[in-house]
Amino acid sequence: MTKYVHHELKVKSNKEELARQSFMMGMRTYVLHDMANGMRTAYDAKVEPAFERREGRKPQDGPEVHKALKNETSFRFYSNMRCNAQEMSFRSVLPTIERNVENLNRKAKALSQSTEKAAGSVSINPEFVVPKSVANIDVHLMPGNYDTEYAEDDVTQGAVYDNGISVFSMGFFGDNLDDIGSTLSLYIREKYPDFNPSKILDLGCTIGHNTVPWARTYPDAEVHAIDVAAPALRYGHARAQSQGATVHFHQQSAEAIEFEDESFDMIFSSMFLHEVPKDGIHKAFKEAHRLLKPGGLMLHMELPPNKMLGAYDSFYMDWDAFYNKEPYYKTFRDMDPAEVCLAAGFKDTNFIQHIVPSLGLYGRGAVKEAVKEARTEADENTGRFGDGIMWYSFGAWK
Amino acid sequence: MWANKPETPKTKLRYSVRGKRFQFFDAQGVDELVSINMALAQELWVVKERQATMEAVAAAKGIVLPKEIEDHEFSEDQKEALEAERKVFIDRIFFILREEAEALEDDLDAEPSAPNIP
Repeated sequence: MTKYVHHELKVKSNKEELARQSFMMGMRTYVLHDMANGMRTAYDAKVEPAFERREGRKPQDGPEVHKALKNETSFRFYSNMRCNAQEMSFRSVLPTIERNVENLNRKAKALSQSTEKAAGSVSINPEFVVPKSVANIDVHLMPGNYDTEYAEDDVTQGAVYDNGISVFSMGFFGDNLDDIGSTLSLYIREKYPDFNPSKILDLGCTIGHNTVPWARTYPDAEVHAIDVAAPALRYGHARAQSQGATVHFHQQSAEAIEFEDESFDMIFSSMFLHEVPKDGIHKAFKEAHRLLKPGGLMLHMELPPNKMLGAYDSFYMDWDAFYNKEPYYKTFRDMDPAEVCLAAGFKDTNFIQHIVPSLGLYGRGAVKEAVKEARTEADENTGRFGDGIMWYSFGAWK
Repeated sequence: MWANKPETPKTKLRYSVRGKRFQFFDAQGVDELVSINMALAQELWVVKERQATMEAVAAAKGIVLPKEIEDHEFSEDQKEALEAERKVFIDRIFFILREEAEALEDDLDAEPSAPNIP
């Protein structure tokens, strides 16, 4: 089992596999911390001054920093090793899962059918065509992506993602990989105590790891979650069942959601929009506007937009668009969150954004404190694994 | 025992990432050499962790370890398992070379393109 997968779909790694996984956590920390700092030092000491001498000004944006840095040895090693560390994190969990494909599918089926702890559901649409933005790419260098199926009613790629991010996240996603959902649902409940959603929808939920906390925070709400990838949905349903959370999973695209107008009080997504092409984001926001009841809330946990960051941090965060097989990442981060909400029909005065400290790292007190502070200034720990982590979110009331 | 004869899984999963790989270093092959070195470092760590465990367990039992190791002879089964393990070990370290070959089996143009590098 990987470090942060404790539920009933956990798989048992042998000692050697565990050592490979723990090595990858150390290696990723080294790349994202030590090597990233080394590259920043080279930029400050050498690259930016050379640019200034040449151009008579500092680089203005991410692309200018990227262009100035890309031939530096520190950039080349950082980039190469970050790609490798990402791939190796996923590869470090594959042999364990490969040995357990049949087991996992059996267990997932049993959990799905059991009503012992929860009464959720999963509906897979056999006619559904997975969009090219998912079907034709191994997003963030995960072999097989979310949608590859190796067997009938297969959950394998859900397990690859769950265990893969358990290694990849180095603890930043919390002990149950649900820190984003746990932090934001607590924050919303504390910040808006009169808001009591009775129907919640999670967009692009993958394995529902950040959906489950909403069901826990609002136990009376009916919680739905959609995604395009069947293996992730099946796994997510079984996972939620094993954790005693009633969630209804559906194979649907956020661009054309099959629910009635004004049927939800809250629409949420986490780390989803940056994997979606620009027109898809616009469509998803229009759908959210259509689906929300008046007084409902749309909230997206995301990477902070480029307009919030300086030139170097923009470059650093957009790196994934170029090299991590997340081609829509930069297009999303170049968008103005308030403008996208406005274009979908939300009033500009109803736009909200928050920067909230991670519940797992800083505790409940810090999240409650953040409610009072209402911070909206990003720093280098916002949305990125640094010395700590803060989650950025934005959205609008309808 | 450390060298468990690798089992052939019923369902074989895909290990390599589809599509184009980036070359960060100008000289051909340097990117692959870095990958191979990272895999080597990982495997070395596995051995170090194993050895630390072994020594801790042996010490707890009061065994004089170096002589035991020097005198040990593997059985035929153990030798066979080690050989099979070595094959998997080598494939893991030189994985990158296999991935490059496998990527060519797909239609590289079907993948959505990353933005142009400035």
